[in-house]
Amino acid sequence: MALALEGSQALARTIALCRPQVVAAYPITPQTHIVEGIAKLVADGKLDCEMVSVESEHSAASVALGAAVAGSRAYTASASQGILLMAEVLFDIAGLRVPLVMTCANRALSGPLNIWNDQQDSMAVRDAGWIQLYCATNQEAIDTTVQAFRIAERCELPVMVCVDGFTLTHTLEPLDLPSAEQVDGFLPAYRFHHGLDPADPRSLGTLVAPEHFSEVRHAHHQALMRAQTEIEQADHEWAAVVGRHCGGLLEVRGDAGARLGILTLGSVLGTLEDAMDNDPSLPRARFIKLRSYRPFPAQALRKACEGLDTLIVLERALSPGAGGIVGPEVQTALIEMEAPPRVHNFAAGLGGRDLTLDLYKSLVDAVLGEKRRHGFAIIDVDTTLLPEADR
Amino acid sequence: MIEIPPGAYARPGTSLDFKTGTWRVERPVHDRRAAPCHAACPAGEDAQAYLAKVENGDLRGAWETIVAANPMPAITGRVCHHPCESACNRGHFDETITIHGVERFLGDEALREHWAYPVAAPGPDAPRMAVVGSGPAGLAAAYHLLRGGCRVTLIEAMPVAGGTMRTAIPHYRLPPSILDQELDRILALPGIDFRPSTRLGRDVSLEELQSENDGLFLGPGRRKGREWSADFAVPGDLHTGLQLLETWVAEGTIPQQPKSVAIVGGGNTAVDLARVLRRQGVEQVHLISHQRIPAPGVPQDDAMRATYREVSQAIEEGVTIHEHRGVRRLILRGERVVGMELVHMKKLADADGRLHRVAFEGTEAVLHVEHVIPAIGQDVDALGFEALVERGQMRVEPWWGELQKHPGIFSGGDARGDHGTVSEAVGDGRRAALGILRRLAGKALEPGAPPEPIPYGELNIHYFESAPAAHEPVLPAAERHGNEEIEGGLDGRAVRHEAHRCLSCGDCLACDNCWTLCPDQSVLKTREVAIDGSNYVFDYDYCKGCGICAHECPTGYIRMIPD
Amino acid sequence: MNEQPLQSLDALRARQPRFRGLESGHRACQGCGEALAARLVTEAAGPDVVIANATGCLEVFTTPWPQSAWRLPWIHSVFGNVAAVAAGMEAALKQQGRATQVLAFAGDGGTFDIGFQALSGMMERGHDVLFICFDNEAYMNTGVQRSGSTPHAAMTTTSPPGAVRMGKRHMKKDILSIIAAHHIPYAATASVAYPSDLRNKVRRAMDTEGASFLQIHSPCPLGWGHDGSLTIEVARLAVQTGLFPIIEMERGELIGTLPIRDPKPVSDYLKLQNRFRHLFADAYRARKELEHLQAIANRNIERFELRGVGVEKYDTEGADTVHRGGDRWA
Repeated sequence: MALALEGSQALARTIALCRPQVVAAYPITPQTHIVEGIAKLVADGKLDCEMVSVESEHSAASVALGAAVAGSRAYTASASQGILLMAEVLFDIAGLRVPLVMTCANRALSGPLNIWNDQQDSMAVRDAGWIQLYCATNQEAIDTTVQAFRIAERCELPVMVCVDGFTLTHTLEPLDLPSAEQVDGFLPAYRFHHGLDPADPRSLGTLVAPEHFSEVRHAHHQALMRAQTEIEQADHEWAAVVGRHCGGLLEVRGDAGARLGILTLGSVLGTLEDAMDNDPSLPRARFIKLRSYRPFPAQALRKACEGLDTLIVLERALSPGAGGIVGPEVQTALIEMEAPPRVHNFAAGLGGRDLTLDLYKSLVDAVLGEKRRHGFAIIDVDTTLLPEADR
Repeated sequence: MIEIPPGAYARPGTSLDFKTGTWRVERPVHDRRAAPCHAACPAGEDAQAYLAKVENGDLRGAWETIVAANPMPAITGRVCHHPCESACNRGHFDETITIHGVERFLGDEALREHWAYPVAAPGPDAPRMAVVGSGPAGLAAAYHLLRGGCRVTLIEAMPVAGGTMRTAIPHYRLPPSILDQELDRILALPGIDFRPSTRLGRDVSLEELQSENDGLFLGPGRRKGREWSADFAVPGDLHTGLQLLETWVAEGTIPQQPKSVAIVGGGNTAVDLARVLRRQGVEQVHLISHQRIPAPGVPQDDAMRATYREVSQAIEEGVTIHEHRGVRRLILRGERVVGMELVHMKKLADADGRLHRVAFEGTEAVLHVEHVIPAIGQDVDALGFEALVERGQMRVEPWWGELQKHPGIFSGGDARGDHGTVSEAVGDGRRAALGILRRLAGKALEPGAPPEPIPYGELNIHYFESAPAAHEPVLPAAERHGNEEIEGGLDGRAVRHEAHRCLSCGDCLACDNCWTLCPDQSVLKTREVAIDGSNYVFDYDYCKGCGICAHECPTGYIRMIPD
Repeated sequence: MNEQPLQSLDALRARQPRFRGLESGHRACQGCGEALAARLVTEAAGPDVVIANATGCLEVFTTPWPQSAWRLPWIHSVFGNVAAVAAGMEAALKQQGRATQVLAFAGDGGTFDIGFQALSGMMERGHDVLFICFDNEAYMNTGVQRSGSTPHAAMTTTSPPGAVRMGKRHMKKDILSIIAAHHIPYAATASVAYPSDLRNKVRRAMDTEGASFLQIHSPCPLGWGHDGSLTIEVARLAVQTGLFPIIEMERGELIGTLPIRDPKPVSDYLKLQNRFRHLFADAYRARKELEHLQAIANRNIERFELRGVGVEKYDTEGADTVHRGGDRWA
């Protein structure tokens, strides 16, 4: 059903369709509207669930964990500082192989304070062992969220659905919400096979000695790698239900024959596509929309990069003191290609800086033009604003 | 084969695979210790054991526990001076348990309910034993020989059984009906051939007894009152204290009704006689003793040999006791006594530690009395076995009672010289019977001793609540005339109250403390009673030896030993 | 005397007339008060519960993978979140319409300090969770560091006595006032020295709808410095001196106490423990601290009206009176 909805509201309704029994809510911009939306649905009797308004994000993740192990589908959402505050619990959830879905409304991290969109928060917990799926549009956010519950419950791995804060969450646009029947048909009742049940007691969260710990980590890593299959399958099967797909692990768009590639995560893709479409004089590019960041789809990526001379990895975060985060991972994956493209790594739009249509040209110029740059850079930085020493 | 499930969860109760018992350096064990009452009982009864049964509602079982040692609790419950109560650990806490009251109740109950002794008849090839004397020593010996599977011939010089119990214990202390019922029941046991009016030396000889039997016990008592061998004149019509007492017990009255009497002596005979004379109506009854009235704090060798209870009741009844006094001489008018000269006298230890009676010159005083009765002790009447008696007593090995110079012959009771009470006599008879049985089986008689009792400090008193003792009703002195029992019995409720107050020293109370307080579930409760008599078993697979159970056991039943 | 079990130990273990929620074989120290407390709690709680357990001694010594001493569904998450995990479990079970109850276990660190926020939030929201603090008065699992619950003047590795210090400077956090301020339907303190009272309170708390809190004084022989065999005696003295009051509250109001029949001087309790040894030195500052602790005990007795009136059946001397046959009242 097509509705004009704010991204957050659409997500709230999508969550409701997935029938969580417990939702943990702690407000933080720009995720707040999601939990507010859910609260209203609960208040109006449209969603039968226990809404637990916790006293911090650390507790939000914990409540979701408790609910999930006790046999209920659970959900929470957060962003930025909240993601960091709940970080130890996120690692714990994944290490214990508990199926959970959460929304990360991507936002910059303090200090200093910044409440606008970049992807530093989800990147900061990339090693927590969660599946991380990035959504390019609000429609994808809706569809990915539904798929996420199935992926989580089948793989026994938690899934973080990353949705650019403000850019997506606070944008009003026509969106197609699936019907209850569609979702019910796609998502079976929650079943967690190693949960807490007095009829079959288990002890979760044991003390694992050095003799066994590597194996536990190995199994977790392997589970994430195997999840690639489930991620693709879920997208495929959901597409059969609603008639649209999200690209599985990644999607190749734009000019498939171009020798210049641009890899992005999240909503910046739309801006780049518009820029290329609007100005035919600009060099064509093959867009690689990376959807699954964890697990990192190295094999699919190599396939998508065949024939490229140059690949720009444009990210919305950085690792201070090293450079990009996604860039080096892409580079490492492509080494195994016979003729890997030259990878250029840029960050842009940090702290919600507006990504305009000029961005496309800036990127192209940076790798093909006279102003060719080398090494990692924040492409839209204006160093004139900085003292000489800090440039 | 190890398989690590997702998230490394663990299955329930799998910690049982790890035997933490390997950690310990000490382990708890159940150690049944003797309660002080048991250690102190001259008859060898385990009061703690039978009090436990009473608390469990098993009165019959409690009585059976008593008669495993002492076949006449209705008697001893009345006459024994209850050293068990003096030793009772509860005395350190609040008030000692009225153990004798419980024993008496059980004895009386057994008579009321006609409970049978748990003793089987002897088999056709049973060894034959002879017992001389049906006082408490002889009766106990006969009873225990019977329990040991022997056939017993019990000979008694008097026409009826009972010995000193019948002849010398006043009825207000031991009613004859009780005595008769208790004794009849023992004598009715199959395997005991009771022959009254049969006197050793007159009707049967020692050699006959020895040749016809596989073992011999002599319990002749000490029937001969000692004469005064004093360096002063004595009247010709002097009766000894014992003679008079026996006359009074038998006939209810004694010859002569003097207005004033002095009894010399400090034993039970002297005191009993003093009280009897007061009952008779003698206005002034004096008791002269070179020792002191027994009381807490008075050293044992300076105290009168009579029991504290008897002495204090005598004083209540108007007997005047002259402590630390001796008789210098009698004052006679012809054959008539008109008084006695008393002198201060004490027993003092010389350089070698031996005690001598010392009279203090210059302290003489005259006491005017019409009659003087010596009650200074008795000797064995050795007719028929003179060779066995040395200086008026049977010299025996202290534990088993075997005659020191005549192995194979055993003795006990008053005849030994150092034992003067019914319960001591019962104990003597019991141990002698056991000694005879051991000799019969060809075993050596190792010297024995009462068990070492568990001291008060080893109990955990915190777990008990204070409660006053139930006491038997005692007739006020003014009402003590005639033959009614001065002390009554406890009723059933009081008996249960006393049993409940028992601290169960050294024995499991099944209180569940150990089971409740073990952090490692290493005390297991058994539905049946475990072999060691407790209700618990230690799970040594997991016991870490922390010692909480031992420390918190209220009765000192658990002990930590190195492991 | 040798033990001769009448039947196999396995069969006996399986036939114990109480619920074995915490099995043998766990790695607690000898005489561990916390292990005993956890055993008593799970016994009273029964099998239809789920447990969340904060980081600390209890979870470490019960679940060395692949082994677990728990016979109940149990999860250990992280240090400070047990009340929140429990809240999540409660919300889920409520939604599922199940009667299974939720217990949260934490040490004093996971209650007074790092776990405090989540506890407060859980109580504020009124989740039907029984939160149990096993109070051994320090961070024991990490080697005896002071916590908010450590008593004044106690020695820990981060509050050692020395030339210029006499153990912990600060007071034991007044957790009961804080709990009272949350007005939850039931809160109580208990001690391993009074196991019947403890079990009774567990049952009562579980019967209460809404949030409940139970603080169980659990001596740690290693951390407090006493022999493992004295755990119960030390715990009992803490109660008898008034230093650990045994009370019950409903919605912040004091509604029950275990009266102290005859308060004992605090030195009786303190002298048994190495962690207070420095208070017995012959020095002014030591005497001063002893007096201070006595004053704290006196204040507790005053504040919670702990003074008994004569001999009561359920006071500090009567509540654990033994009976032949073990008929305990809970």
